[in-house]
Amino acid sequence: MAEKKRILVIEDEPVISEFLRTGLTYEGYEVVLTGKGSEGLQYLQNNDVALLILDLMLPDMDGLDVCRQIRNRGDALPILMLTARKEVSDRVKGLDTGADDYMTKPFSFDELLARIRALLRRFGQQNEDESIRIGSISLNPQTREVTYHGVALDLTPTEFALLELFLRHPRRVFTRETLMNRVMGYDYIGETNIIDVHISHLRDKLGDKPPRLIRTVYGVGYAFHPEQAE
Amino acid sequence: MKTFLARLSLKARFNLLYAILLVLSVGVLGWYSYWNVWHLLVENTSAHLRARAKPVIEHWISAQGIAAGDSALTGIPRPALRALAVDLTSRNTVACILDKNGHMLVSGKRLPEEPDPPAPQMAYLRRALNGENEITYRDQSGEKAQLVLLIPLRPAPGSTHILGVVQLSTSLQEIDRILFRHGLMLLIAMAIILSLGAGIGMWLTASGLKDLETLSATCRQIAGGHFGQRVPVAGRSDEIGQLASAFNAMLDKLEATFAAQRRFTANAAHELLTPLTALRGSLEVLLRGAQDDPAAVTRLSKGMYAEVTRLIRLCEQLLGLARLESSANLRKKTVHLRSFFRTFVQQAKRLAPQRKVSVAEGPDITLQADPDMLQQILLNLFTNALNHSSPDTAIVFSWRLLPGRVEILVRDFGSGIPKEVLPHVFEPFFSASPERRGAGLGLALVKSMTEAHGGSVTIESEEGAGTTVRIVLPLI
Repeated sequence: MAEKKRILVIEDEPVISEFLRTGLTYEGYEVVLTGKGSEGLQYLQNNDVALLILDLMLPDMDGLDVCRQIRNRGDALPILMLTARKEVSDRVKGLDTGADDYMTKPFSFDELLARIRALLRRFGQQNEDESIRIGSISLNPQTREVTYHGVALDLTPTEFALLELFLRHPRRVFTRETLMNRVMGYDYIGETNIIDVHISHLRDKLGDKPPRLIRTVYGVGYAFHPEQAE
Repeated sequence: MKTFLARLSLKARFNLLYAILLVLSVGVLGWYSYWNVWHLLVENTSAHLRARAKPVIEHWISAQGIAAGDSALTGIPRPALRALAVDLTSRNTVACILDKNGHMLVSGKRLPEEPDPPAPQMAYLRRALNGENEITYRDQSGEKAQLVLLIPLRPAPGSTHILGVVQLSTSLQEIDRILFRHGLMLLIAMAIILSLGAGIGMWLTASGLKDLETLSATCRQIAGGHFGQRVPVAGRSDEIGQLASAFNAMLDKLEATFAAQRRFTANAAHELLTPLTALRGSLEVLLRGAQDDPAAVTRLSKGMYAEVTRLIRLCEQLLGLARLESSANLRKKTVHLRSFFRTFVQQAKRLAPQRKVSVAEGPDITLQADPDMLQQILLNLFTNALNHSSPDTAIVFSWRLLPGRVEILVRDFGSGIPKEVLPHVFEPFFSASPERRGAGLGLALVKSMTEAHGGSVTIESEEGAGTTVRIVLPLI
């Protein structure tokens, strides 16, 4: 696995920074939090940061000023602004000041993640548009093509989403609830054993025999073991 | 008539009224002038004829040697009568002599082209025979109108005996022509005056009402959402100018109110958005997988619980503000200030057991107030004082009696409020400190609740020394 990308979050609302920290950590990022613009600027001077999430309303200074100072220092790191102001003029001002993207509250965490990925990709720090390769499994999120030992697999969208999730988080144990939320949507209501059905179809298509690629963790859920993919 | 008038525009009504008045006044003047001229001409002609006839008749009477007692013309030979008639006849004027029965005895007409004397009209003749000297009337019986004069013949001037009547008739042709010319001139003058007057009148009404039209156009624009519009006043001091400036003043007030309302709504929405963002984000993070980590579940759930509490409190405060817009929601009771404060301080000490809270008791006043609201007012002020002063300083409540009112003071010895933000502290959602604790509605609520009681609230503060909030409430 590549080294973890470090994201600096400058946000003074403790509950928002809390879920950002938890959520982003779960997605495999290293998260550094601060509630003050001046502290954030100082941290950026001394540390290497892949991306900055910046709230516009900070107790000690205006988020736009933080942004301006970073750009004046010649720092080109991707900046994603968060704000409650929805007006087009505010967004334009934010982007003109040097922000790379702009999200208004209340934003969706999924969308935030997608935008983070897009920004990192654009800044050449993450090659997400290329295939994910683990062992002899190759999955391309753009073309939605999957090959195993050079043979193309025909997966349903749910099976594809499950495999992508496993490939992105090798060895992590996912509960059936989490898998269901991630691949079927947060508003899907139903029995979790539907996941077992999809997993067994996926295993059949992969020709997955014990010791398996996709292992059942009894009483918990499933985990992906890449060493079996050689 | 009424509905017809109501359907007309104001301008049309003004113009109609103006035209009617103009026609009436010019018409009356013209008619009077016409009548006057006619009267003058007739008087003039008849006076002239009489003046000429009088010496002729007197001479003739004395020449005939008529006795003073005679009362008829029977004794006078016809040629003598005819001589008189001929003497009295001149150009345009024909004389004839009538006996007491109205029979024409002789006529002065000599040439056939001279007009025939008109037949006597008996009503006028009788009046002449009764001794009336100056009878003049207009006779229309012939093909041409004639002016007829009757002169009674008396044996001697002033005698009551009447022998007969001399009838002089003259053509009215000349007079009628003059009158026609005069009338025509009058009509032309009236037409000119009317059209000029109506034109000027309409111009005056139009220019007077133009500003009203501007006003209504502005109203329509404002109704369309252009609140920045104003009516041009441009130094007018008449009624329309006054209306325009009153209208503009009203617009200023409305615009300010709308702006405040918009600001309030925007602030309220912003205050709602932050907890909602936290809730949504936390839920997504949980559903994405953090739910499998008990520590993360606890942490995120606690945060969500705090945000929900914050949302509920915010909604309650917003509802409170809305409720206070009408004072009908007050439940006033008799409040004994001394016992009220004793209970209140106990609660306050429970909220902040480490803090020194004291009451400088004033006289035991009773006032009519909503005790729950009064408690809420003091609690909000107490919370503010707690948050803005260091734990080792005291918070002091006190009250005193003013004429018809009671003054309650809440004093802290904390950091104080900077001068430049002091005027804004009662505005909803205003927060002086960047690390805001609440939504900034506490003091706004205090103000609304105090004002709902018919009272007032003021604040004095010195940076570094502390803050005093002064509530003045009416006793009843």
